[in-house]
Order: sequence, then structure tokens, then C-alpha cells
Amino acid sequence: MKWLLFACKNVLRNRRRALMAMLITAVGTAAVLVGSGFALFTYDSLREVSARDTGHVVLAQHAYFDGDEDMPMQNGLAGATELAASLRALPGTRAVLSRIQFSGLISNGDKSAIFLGAGIEPLVDFQIRGVQTGFVAGEPFAAGAAAPEIVVGKELAKLMKAKVGSSLTLLATTTEGTLNAVDVTVSGIVTVGVPDIDKRLVYADIAAVQKLLLTDKVSTLSVYLRDKDDTDAAAASLAAAHPQLAVRSWLDLAVFYQSVKALYDRIFGMLGIIMLVIVLFAMTNTLGMAVAERTREIGTLRAIGTYPGELVRNFMLEGAAVGGGGALAGMAVAGATTVALMFARLQMPPPPGRSTGYPLLVNFSPALYIAVGVAVIAVSAFAAYLASRKAARRPITEALAHV
Amino acid sequence: MNAAATTAIQAPVIRLESVSKAYMSGKNAVQALRGVSFEAKAGEMVALTGPSGSGKSTLLNLCGLIDAPDQGTREMSGQAINGASGAALTRIRREKVGFVFQAFNLVPVMTVYDNVEYPLLLLGTSPAERKKRVLDALDRVGLAGFEKRLPDALSGGQRQRVAIARALVKSPALVIADEPTGNLDSATAAQIVDLLREVAHERLAAAVVATHDDRMTRYCDRVVRLVDGEIS
Repeated sequence: MKWLLFACKNVLRNRRRALMAMLITAVGTAAVLVGSGFALFTYDSLREVSARDTGHVVLAQHAYFDGDEDMPMQNGLAGATELAASLRALPGTRAVLSRIQFSGLISNGDKSAIFLGAGIEPLVDFQIRGVQTGFVAGEPFAAGAAAPEIVVGKELAKLMKAKVGSSLTLLATTTEGTLNAVDVTVSGIVTVGVPDIDKRLVYADIAAVQKLLLTDKVSTLSVYLRDKDDTDAAAASLAAAHPQLAVRSWLDLAVFYQSVKALYDRIFGMLGIIMLVIVLFAMTNTLGMAVAERTREIGTLRAIGTYPGELVRNFMLEGAAVGGGGALAGMAVAGATTVALMFARLQMPPPPGRSTGYPLLVNFSPALYIAVGVAVIAVSAFAAYLASRKAARRPITEALAHV
Repeated sequence: MNAAATTAIQAPVIRLESVSKAYMSGKNAVQALRGVSFEAKAGEMVALTGPSGSGKSTLLNLCGLIDAPDQGTREMSGQAINGASGAALTRIRREKVGFVFQAFNLVPVMTVYDNVEYPLLLLGTSPAERKKRVLDALDRVGLAGFEKRLPDALSGGQRQRVAIARALVKSPALVIADEPTGNLDSATAAQIVDLLREVAHERLAAAVVATHDDRMTRYCDRVVRLVDGEIS
């Protein structure tokens, strides 16, 4: 404790220089924390969206994930109703949703377009997908309606000149290889924020889709858990219980999330490294001057029995004190920025390929703050080591004669 | 010297035998010491005098183990220290050698108390023992009550007293003083010399003092004069 107190006193010898070093350290720390906090917010948001979209755990035939289908629903899951019921009974399960992925042509009588459809259990599915399925008009359809209803993507509705209540026709290849058609009514128009998806998107009642495709199979069963952190355990448990099925976690299927995370990890990792290098240079410069000014003192302390290693340790404590002060200031700035952004309600512009922006928010992560603080202090101490190691081993008589 | 002090002078604390030392000055070698033999005993205060460049400081540095001779041998308290590693020499200085410098060389950001306490921190002395010894040392040099002051708030004489307290607080076997009165007025210098002598005798420490100051040599038990790197 005494040594740390001496280090702090030594730091205050040249206050302006120490403050400048702390300022540089604080700016670097704040930049890393805000940048990394933004990345963490993005990861959290994408994880949430991905898990809501696919379900925490997805079960299907092995060939569904690994192979192509020659015929629709060739790799579909039979007996899904019974399997879903057994899955719903498992502890920790919030919902189990059957889904069919299908495609075909959609027509308004005058013109046709390709669609990519999802047969869903309407009310529950829309409720679970939540905010990502933003209705711009109408509302979700009900299950088992006498006249089948659909929800279409915003761009597809524009292409089909469809409004809520418009009649359209879905045309698809059945499991027997023949063409089948069903007349549907538009109950709602949605956007997922990606124009290319909105241009093809159709949600339909799964029962109507099964009727259209002449099948009782489903493509997948999506298991939604009460706690997302249980995903790995649930996936492992389901894989063991159903070896004949392929079991994937949301993370396995979250290609976009993984791509963004890999990109941001590199960007913000590089930012962190650059900031630490700047801190290293600033601290080496500051402490190098301090060491040079105190050469005679170093000689005195060596003469009265201080080991070179002890002197270096003392300078490292000084570096850590400056770095720690700067890191704390940077943390305060980053924390204030985090809070300010919560109230500022700023929006990021839409990313490439998307039509909607997203909130500019920064996550507060105690683990991140601790990690960055420790890294900054370690780098500062290392800078002090670099700055003092030669001076501490200089011949004592030379150091004492230093003017 | 009083009788008690006289009987206290015993075996040499530091002994140098036929030591030589040369320095490079540019491209020229300067022979600072030429086969000098020297010793200082416990309780003895020895003055090293001589003109500038005579080798006083070099001999003082060799005695204080902060420089190494090119030739010759050294013993500290009867133990040969030739060939000792830098770490071993540091350990010996830490335990057995106190230094007093002409420019005081106190650490400016440390209080008087902290400066005097520093050698005890290096020795790992317990906090209670440190406090007792620091206060005793400051009391001995007449600076009781100055514990919380910074060196800048002291006069030159007071700073040198702090330096003496720092040198003596660990009860060293050897005190090395390099021109300890060089920056002081006559009255203060006399007090400092007297103090050094008293403390050396009281604590049975050998004191080796390099000085130009004739006033100082009068207080010393023995005067060694160096001329051109040799004892004259």
C-alpha cells in the first residue's frame, strides 16, 4: 500500500503531463467501451431476432438441413403433431411451432410473381416473432378460416397491387408433382425491413399450406424455450432423445448474426488494439520523461539498497496509477454516453440491403469494463516497464552524477 | 574521542587492499586510484581529503559498494566481497551501508517521515518497529515534529539532518558521506559534522567522509589524504 501511495505521489509531480496521459488513456478507454458496447448491443439484438425467427432449437429430418429436395416436402417431418405435443410437455419449453417452407407463384389475375412462403400456426407464431414482424396494414389471420387468408410482404403487396381484403391466388407444386392452387385473401401487410425479403414474403395458415401441397408433413418443428441460455442443454437433450432427427440451435442457423459478429469482432478488436497501442506510446513517452528527470533519484535509491527490479516495480505502479486513473475517467465517460444514448433515441441509418434503421444504443457490460480497465492498466504498467528498465540498471555512479 | 568510543573501535568494517580503478574520459583512460589500501573500523570516522580529481569520490564509491575496483580486494565486516553479484552487493548496501550526499538527495514527493522510513521498508521491517525507529532517528537528529513536512519546506541543514536520519535509521555498519557539508553554511556544517561523528560513535558505525572542508577533518578520528590516486 505504501508503494502505491508513493507511486500516486510521484504521478502528481508533473500534474499537467500526468493529466495529459490520463486524458489520452481516458479517450482510448471510452472509445473502446462505447464501440464494444455498441457491438454488444448489436449482438444481443441480432441474437434476439435470430432466436425469435427460427426458435431456440429446430428439429427436422437430417436431409432437410443437409440436402436438396427433388419434390416439395420430400424431407418433411411426418407425425409432427404427436412429436410437438411431446415436446411441449418438456420442462422449460415455452412453445413448439410447426412450420412449412414452400414456394410458388402468386397471382392477382393480371400478373404473377414468385413467392417464398412460410406455413405457420398464425396467432402464436406472430406473437412469438413479435416486433420483427411489423404490420404496416391489416392484422394476422386466424387459424382454420373457411376462406384461407395470408399476410404478404410490403413490396410483394405493392407488386400485386394488393391491399387488405384483396383476393390473390397461390400456385404451388404438390408433393405428388402436380400443380395446385388456392384462392386467398390478404389479411395483413408486413415488412421485415429487408426489401428483397418483403418482395417475396408470404405467411399462410399451415393447414391451408398442407392442403395446397397435399401433405400432412411439416418442414420443421421450432422449440421456443423460456430461457435462451438453456439452448445448448435443450439441443443436446433433444438430439439424444431423437437420434433419427437433426437438431439445430438458433446459433447454427443464424448465418447473418454470425457474419455480423465476425465482422464486428474484427473491427472493434482492431479498434481496441489501436487504442491500446496509442495508450502504450503515450504512457511510454510520459513515463520516459519522468524516468529521465529522476535519474539521480534512481541512483540514490539504488545506492541505499533498492534492487533494479524494485525500482521498475515502483515505476510500473506509477504507470498503473496513471492508466487506472485514465481508465476510470474513460469508464465514466462511456457510462455517461451509454445513459445519454438511452434518452437521446438516436437511430442508425438502415444497413445495406435493409429499409429500416435501428436504435443507436450501447450495452453496459461490467465484464467488458473490467476487461478493458485491466488491459489499459496492464498496458500502462508495461509502458512503465519499457521506460524504466534501462535506467534502473544504469551504473549507480553514473546515475548519481546525472545533472 | 571519548573512552567508550575508543574501545568501540574494533575490527575493520570495510577494508580495501591494493585497489585500482581507471575511468575512460573520452578516448583516454584516467587512473583514479593506484593500488590504494584503506580500512575503516566500527565507531571510527575517517575523513578522505585531497584536491579535486585525487580519487576521493572513487574511493568512497568503492567503500560504499556502488562501484567495483579494476584490481584489488574488498572486505565488508571480514567477508570478502570480490566477485559478488550486483544483487548481493545491493543486499549488503541495503542492510549495512547508509549514504549521505552533498545535495541531500531526498525524494521530494515523500515527507520527512517517508524519506527516513524508506530504508526500513526495503528491509521489510514491521510497521510498528518502523515507526519507532523513524521517530527515534528524527529525534536524534533534532527533527522531531517535522515528520509531515516535505523536503522543500526545510532548510539545507534540516534536509541534511533528514539525510543523516535516513542513513542511520537502519543502524548501518558503515556510513558513506560525500561532501556532506558542501552545501551548508559554517554554523550548520559544524552541527552536521558533530552530529555525524556522535552518531557514528554511538552506533558503532564506521563513517567514511569525503570532504574539502578543513573544519570537518578536525572532528574526524583519522584523516586520509589522497593525491593523484594514491594515499600520501
